[in-house]
Amino acid sequence: MGTISSAFSLMSQGLDADQSALSVVANNVANANTPGYTEETPDWQQNQPININGVSYGDGVTETGATSVRDSVLNERLDQQQQLASASSARLTALNTVQVLFTPDSGSSSSTAGDIGSDLTGFFSSLSSLEANPTDNSLRQNVLSTASTLAGDISNAASSLNSQRLSLDQEAAGVSSQVNSLTSAIAQLNQQIMSTSPDSDAGTLEDQRQQDMSQLSQLVGINKITTENSGLEITTTSGQLLVSNDTSVQMTNGTVNGVTNFFLGGVNITSQLAFGGGELGGYLTARDEDIPSALSSLDQLAYSISTQVNAQNNAGTDLDGVSGTKDAPLNIFNEPTAVSGSAANMSVVMTDPNHIAAAGLNDGTGDSSNAIAMAGLSEQQILNGQTPTDYYSNFVSTLGATVSSVQTENTAQNASVTQLQTQNDALSSVNLDDEASSMTTLERSYQAASQVLTMLNTIMAAALNLGDQTTVS
Amino acid sequence: MRVDPNYVTNLVSSLDQSQATEQQLTSELSSGVSITSLSQNPVASGENVLLLNQIQQDDSFTQSSSLVTSQLQVADSTLGSVVTQLTQAISLATSANNGTMNVSDVKSIGNQLSGILDEVQSLANTNYQGQYIFAGGQTSTTPFTTSSGATTYDGDEDTNYLETPNGQKIQLNVPGDQIFLSSGTNSVFGALNSLIADYSTGTVDASQAISDTESLGTALSFVSQQRVTIDNSISQLGSASDAMTNEQTQLIAAQTNLMQADVAQVSTQLSLSETQQTALEDVIAQLNSTSNDLFSKLPQ
Repeated sequence: MGTISSAFSLMSQGLDADQSALSVVANNVANANTPGYTEETPDWQQNQPININGVSYGDGVTETGATSVRDSVLNERLDQQQQLASASSARLTALNTVQVLFTPDSGSSSSTAGDIGSDLTGFFSSLSSLEANPTDNSLRQNVLSTASTLAGDISNAASSLNSQRLSLDQEAAGVSSQVNSLTSAIAQLNQQIMSTSPDSDAGTLEDQRQQDMSQLSQLVGINKITTENSGLEITTTSGQLLVSNDTSVQMTNGTVNGVTNFFLGGVNITSQLAFGGGELGGYLTARDEDIPSALSSLDQLAYSISTQVNAQNNAGTDLDGVSGTKDAPLNIFNEPTAVSGSAANMSVVMTDPNHIAAAGLNDGTGDSSNAIAMAGLSEQQILNGQTPTDYYSNFVSTLGATVSSVQTENTAQNASVTQLQTQNDALSSVNLDDEASSMTTLERSYQAASQVLTMLNTIMAAALNLGDQTTVS
Repeated sequence: MRVDPNYVTNLVSSLDQSQATEQQLTSELSSGVSITSLSQNPVASGENVLLLNQIQQDDSFTQSSSLVTSQLQVADSTLGSVVTQLTQAISLATSANNGTMNVSDVKSIGNQLSGILDEVQSLANTNYQGQYIFAGGQTSTTPFTTSSGATTYDGDEDTNYLETPNGQKIQLNVPGDQIFLSSGTNSVFGALNSLIADYSTGTVDASQAISDTESLGTALSFVSQQRVTIDNSISQLGSASDAMTNEQTQLIAAQTNLMQADVAQVSTQLSLSETQQTALEDVIAQLNSTSNDLFSKLPQ
């Protein structure tokens, strides 16, 4: 049988529950801007009814805590997409610095410094000008000065590429320590989660773990496998173990062939990481694919021009009537020994313009047949079946196309990240309007409970006084 | 359905994007160049390299062409003077050959012919900017010297060419011996030296002298023929140079078309972008105002 005092007890439970729920709301509002915080909803539980003489009486309510509003599938998709987006974003940043070196020359007078295409044309044009008057000192001087400009710009571009590669290497090397601190944090959180809430959502701990996971996803491509008791196993996209429940495997750096390589448990995983996503993946793709490919194109260009021009110059007669020999070659450019490194080492070794062999072999010094032959190299397919200018033109188009495709890729991935982020925020982030509305509801419910309590008090007083109004008020 | 409470953040990133677009468009307007990086238009960037190459080649050919044209004009006028001298020599020889002159007159004609020989030799040794123009490839060696009645050639048979960007080769010189010493006695110097020898004693062997005079006539017409070669080169250079200038003009137009910003189009895009930005800013300001928050509506 229900009594007034049991009604009192029900109401005080209600007040407690409301307060508890209000504190959940307050916590949501307080954490509205906390990164990684997931909105929590109060859990209400109806108390077990009591049976007295076959009649069931309600026994009030208890607030049993709070549950985070979370969709782990959505989180995982967000992480996956984030890996791709940050990989392409890191790669794009690197490629943008690369393409600045080859900014298109806009002027029609083609005198802009630093443009290799114009330099190539300038050099071969200076040789064809020499045809007009092969003994003219100023024309000869001009050949050497355009050669220096060409060699200087190519070697500058190559050394800039090398230093960009180096700085990417350093940035990549810095990533592994961040990865390590995140994986240890996740391992620790795993341990806590597995011991405190093996069967349910771990709330704040889970928030932290998810936050660490998404940071880790930005750095390196990962796969996540949920184990029993709410533990986690994390591997790189290529399957090397990073975290297994409460233990983490440390990533170590080592130098192989002058660049930083990455090891997990003694295994070199650098090449797998390069395509695995995350910032590190982007850095490594740029470091090991994009920049070396640009460098090797420049090397090929420098090598072919240096060797072909030198060979042709040695096949003629200079202004002093001398022809180059094997022991005393008349080289205009520093003769490269191997294709690799040719661009960085390209320079003009000839100092005396008289040594330009404009005349043909055994011809008088006023002859220009060798100058014609040297100028003709610009029309010959001396580079993989292409003329030097065609080769350079292809090179810039290819580079531009690569940058542009990474740009498109990055834009699409970022859009998809934004979309997933919006979905996730719609579900999990704190909506202040919602909180205001729940607060109003809870406030009203608290007020109602208080009111009921006041009424019960009056009723109780009436019962105690047994009709006499003065004894108890 | 719940919505993303952070939509203002997304709007701000749209605002960033529209600002970046404006920046890009403004820089296009101020520089006049539409392609400022390879990735903006990879194909056009590659094409640009080829166009600039062709333009520069045409430009450089036009310059070389004006340089060699003056050299060829010097050669042409020199040969003109040679023709004048030889015509005079033929008329002197003809007057000596008619048998009416006394010994001293004949000797005097011989002396005048010697003078003409010297003159022609010095014309054949003409240099342009320090380079002998009738010496083949040996442009630093004096090509013709005469001693004891014989003129020798120290140049060579080398012919120089200027190659146009289209690969056409234009001849820049005629080796001196081809003009002046080509066929033994029928050559300019051969015939002149024979005539000088014919008149040196004062008594003329009429038949020999007439035949030598005819040889000089043949040599003269040969010089004129060689002069035609030079004239042809001058006119070839002229038309090649004109063609290159025309081509250059067209290529520059094409290159400008490819790389330059279309001001009208860019301005329109810029104004659209500005409108969008203003709209976004208004929306953000509206959303950020406190009256849109349910908390602000709660009783204080």
